[in-house]
Amino acid sequence: MIVLGIEGTAWNLSASLVDDDEVLCEASSAYIPASGGIHPREAAQHVANNIAGVIRQVLSSTDPRLIEGVAFSQGPGLGPCLRIVGTAARALSMRLGVPLVGVNHCIAHIEVGRWKTHLVDPIVLYVSGANSQVLSYRQQRYRILGETLDIGIGNCLDKFARSAGLPHPGGPKVERLAQESRNYLPMPYVVKGMDFSFSGIVTAATEALKSASLEEICYSFQETAFSMLVEVSERALSQMDKSDLLLAGGVGANKRLQEMLSVMCAQRGARFSAPKSEYLQDNGAMIAYTGLLMLRHGIQTPIASSGANASFRPDEVEVLWIETH
Amino acid sequence: MDRDTLEVVTGAEAVVVLHGHSVVKQRVPKDYRIAELDTKLRRERTRLEAKIQSDARRAGVPTPIIEAVDGFSITMERIEGPPVHSVMNEVVAEAIGAVLCALHSAGIIHGDPTTRNMIFSAGRVYLIDFGLSSYDRSLEARGVDVHVFFQTLEATDDRFPALKDAFLAGYSRNCSDAALIVEKVNEIKERGRYL
Repeated sequence: MIVLGIEGTAWNLSASLVDDDEVLCEASSAYIPASGGIHPREAAQHVANNIAGVIRQVLSSTDPRLIEGVAFSQGPGLGPCLRIVGTAARALSMRLGVPLVGVNHCIAHIEVGRWKTHLVDPIVLYVSGANSQVLSYRQQRYRILGETLDIGIGNCLDKFARSAGLPHPGGPKVERLAQESRNYLPMPYVVKGMDFSFSGIVTAATEALKSASLEEICYSFQETAFSMLVEVSERALSQMDKSDLLLAGGVGANKRLQEMLSVMCAQRGARFSAPKSEYLQDNGAMIAYTGLLMLRHGIQTPIASSGANASFRPDEVEVLWIETH
Repeated sequence: MDRDTLEVVTGAEAVVVLHGHSVVKQRVPKDYRIAELDTKLRRERTRLEAKIQSDARRAGVPTPIIEAVDGFSITMERIEGPPVHSVMNEVVAEAIGAVLCALHSAGIIHGDPTTRNMIFSAGRVYLIDFGLSSYDRSLEARGVDVHVFFQTLEATDDRFPALKDAFLAGYSRNCSDAALIVEKVNEIKERGRYL
């Protein structure tokens, strides 16, 4: 089965064709803000200007008659972007005469990770700009065990980076600067059960700009925030008696975070895995592949219920494609 | 290890040795964290756990008696019984509600009230693992505490709706502002969302 997927929830517009075994092709167009962070209206304009191009590119790589479904990111994400993606997906599914399937963006991050790492039933640490969650599959659903009580880790990094005058996206720049220091400045470490909070770190780090070096602050910021994420991941492994951990989402590309998770897993005899960066960041293949899983299990999205869902929660999705023992 | 040692349990952050009538909980170093942060967290949590757990007990909340504190380890009374998640039903959920209300009424937030951090013993619910606890009487802090409990219950038990009602019945028996807490929990659930 070949499925075409379109991702466009925030910064990366991407279309892809996948079959059951591999990604056949992908075309992407990233929105890079001229200054500051992601502006919803500009992001939507970017999607509107480039969506025909990325779709045309993937369509030209195959005989369109082989495509058996059109999947699209239905949410969560920026409403204006989601609406354009949805409109394009509806038009394409009608034009090709194939089923439409609306995909939850968070679930897609998890599924592409499971696909590429071959972990069957892991605890998932999902970290992106707006989202930071620890999830675990149980009885047809990904259950949210813990999540941020305020902002996502990526937005937290970007927010600090902006106040430090670093251009968007701030995460990779903070990661590089952090490597230049080993001097730890204490920052608010807030873990409540498996929930956590990052807003205190942003405030403390921004305040520290007056008196400490940027390298020191970036180092301390990462060590504090990531330790919180690793701690809750370990709690989840322990609480659910699972022994595999999957990292998903764009912030997962951070090498220090990967290293810490891998050390934690090694220390407790668990297995850690993350897909390559191209499948950690937002990508069309994850939408196409999740759509394929859904279509294989008889799930389609009628036009009437294909509207954008900006606050779509992963635990709203019935997951029929996982077999655990 | 001497011959009285019965069992060693490795939790997420500590190694727990059941030893006769006592339990020794040792917070082990975590290699993933830098030493400064790791040592600080383990020391603070150990100290806080011993102190707040004693205070909770003094306020009438069932918790194990603290026998000794030493650096990163606490020796405490051993409570015989299963963790509540393995005996969960509406009666137990209601008892948990009453215990959490008693704790909150004493101005204490547990910080990690999951079903694995409670022991069911002789018809009573004992709270353990006070490592993330704090003194706080605010509606916000109490709401987060109840939210954490609901979240783990919902993730692990299919009878969640009925258990939640039973918990609230127990909580509201002596905490007259339970309705405000429910409102707070709903508000907290709405945060941390995409936009």
